[in-house]
Amino acid sequence: MVKKAELEILEEIAPNTFMIRYDDKKFLATKSRSKPHYGEKKYAEFREWIPYRSKLAAMILNGYRIKLKPDMKMLYLGAASGTTVSHLSDILEEGVIYAVEYSARPFKKFLELSMERRNIIPLLKDASKPEEYAGIVEKVDFIYQDIAQKNQREIFVKNAEFFLKENGEGLIMVKARSIDSVAEPSEVFSRFLSEMEENFTILKHGKLDPFHKDHIFVHVRL
Amino acid sequence: MIEYKVWFGKIYKRNSELEVIKSDDFVESFIESRCEKLPFSLKEISLKIFPSEEEYYSELRRTAIRVAEIEVEKELKSSDRYIISLLKALDEIDLGINLFSEKIRDLEEIRTDKTTEEFRRIVGELKELRKDIERRISSEASKLMPNVTELVGGVIAARLLERAGSLKRLASMAGSTIQILGAEKSLFKAMSRIKKGKKAKTPKHGIIFQHPYIRTLPKKLRGKMARFLASKLAIGARVDYYSGELKEDLAEAVRKKYEELRG
Ligand SMILES: C[S@@+](CC[C@H](N)C(=O)[O-])C[C@H]1O[C@@H](n2cnc3c(N)ncnc32)[C@H](O)[C@@H]1O
Repeated sequence: MVKKAELEILEEIAPNTFMIRYDDKKFLATKSRSKPHYGEKKYAEFREWIPYRSKLAAMILNGYRIKLKPDMKMLYLGAASGTTVSHLSDILEEGVIYAVEYSARPFKKFLELSMERRNIIPLLKDASKPEEYAGIVEKVDFIYQDIAQKNQREIFVKNAEFFLKENGEGLIMVKARSIDSVAEPSEVFSRFLSEMEENFTILKHGKLDPFHKDHIFVHVRL
Repeated sequence: MIEYKVWFGKIYKRNSELEVIKSDDFVESFIESRCEKLPFSLKEISLKIFPSEEEYYSELRRTAIRVAEIEVEKELKSSDRYIISLLKALDEIDLGINLFSEKIRDLEEIRTDKTTEEFRRIVGELKELRKDIERRISSEASKLMPNVTELVGGVIAARLLERAGSLKRLASMAGSTIQILGAEKSLFKAMSRIKKGKKAKTPKHGIIFQHPYIRTLPKKLRGKMARFLASKLAIGARVDYYSGELKEDLAEAVRKKYEELRG
């Protein structure tokens, strides 16, 4: 006889976000009413959240937590095809995610996700030009940025000026190679951090290894 | 009076008074909306014309999706051609710069006067324009083909695209074809010499030969590097065409290969 697989919640990490054990497998997941989006598995109502595909999952699995509330308003820069946004959409169940992506092909797949979810506003826009969506996006509690661009700090600062509420928070994923393709990553990161400190309070930063090499997350408050 | 174009219409600010004019076509006003940082809360103002928050969000979401559908198709249809025509403009400007520079030299050998100064000014402006177009090409190329662009940069990526005709065609090519893309002329020459029983060297590199990773290697290693780069470009073009997401390990592999060959 085959033993029935058991699903156990090990820890609640954020709204609708859990560490799950299923048989011998331990993993991060979000509780979701929707179907899988990027090839991740769904066990009962839990969608596996794959750290190799999502830097936010990598950050969580590396032990760092940010406070997310179900009714948050968020601006997400660099949505790509919506891997991470799909999980944030599970988490911010009563919130709104304004998601910006400028590349049409991944955006097309992201658009499908937006149609299935009630809390996503898809925007095919360039994040370096907030003027083009200032008449669309309201003031938000949180800005998430994952755009792997040389000038990503300037882009983040500009968007924060336009849209971030006072005391609002931000999370930035930084890839050393896209800022400087030759310098030592540690040097690139410390330069980035000290420049960010001119505009924000840095709450925490840390590595995304082993899931994403030469990347860090930077959590800030305005 | 200041006018703000927001997605649901226009807002006029007179002193501290705000007046809202609702658009009768949200799709149109959404597309046209553009403004500096708003000195008021968009959400609060919206409640002057939307009966509730829920209705505001559901109308916003519906409109955003409708606009996105229109724009994504438009973008997918035109971005190949846009990049190719930018590239042609770049090459024509280069021709212009060369032509004028030559003229300046010719004239200066005889005498320097107002006319040569005028030519110099034009060359200066053309160089500025060239920089602009190059930046445009890079940013458009990294949207349309992030992997190919990450591997060889915007301009070479655009040249590959031009030779192939479209991203779809580039994505269907084998690495060996991409490797000699742009060297077709010399390939045909070599082939016809060979057919006639004459000796000829077949070309090893096409457009990608311009890449520093190949140019800076000793001659005997260039073929190897070109083959490797071309094989990754073939994968990259496919990923670009089918998903458009950046695969981090492609550029990493090419860099490693280069470092290994350079020793
Ligand atoms: C590393 S991917 C994002 C992955 C995504 N955040 C996730 O976890 O699912 C970076 C994305 O940022 C986009 N991007 C880069 N620069 C941008 C800009 N200026 N405006 C909008 N999107 C941009 C790229 O097209 C790419 O899709």
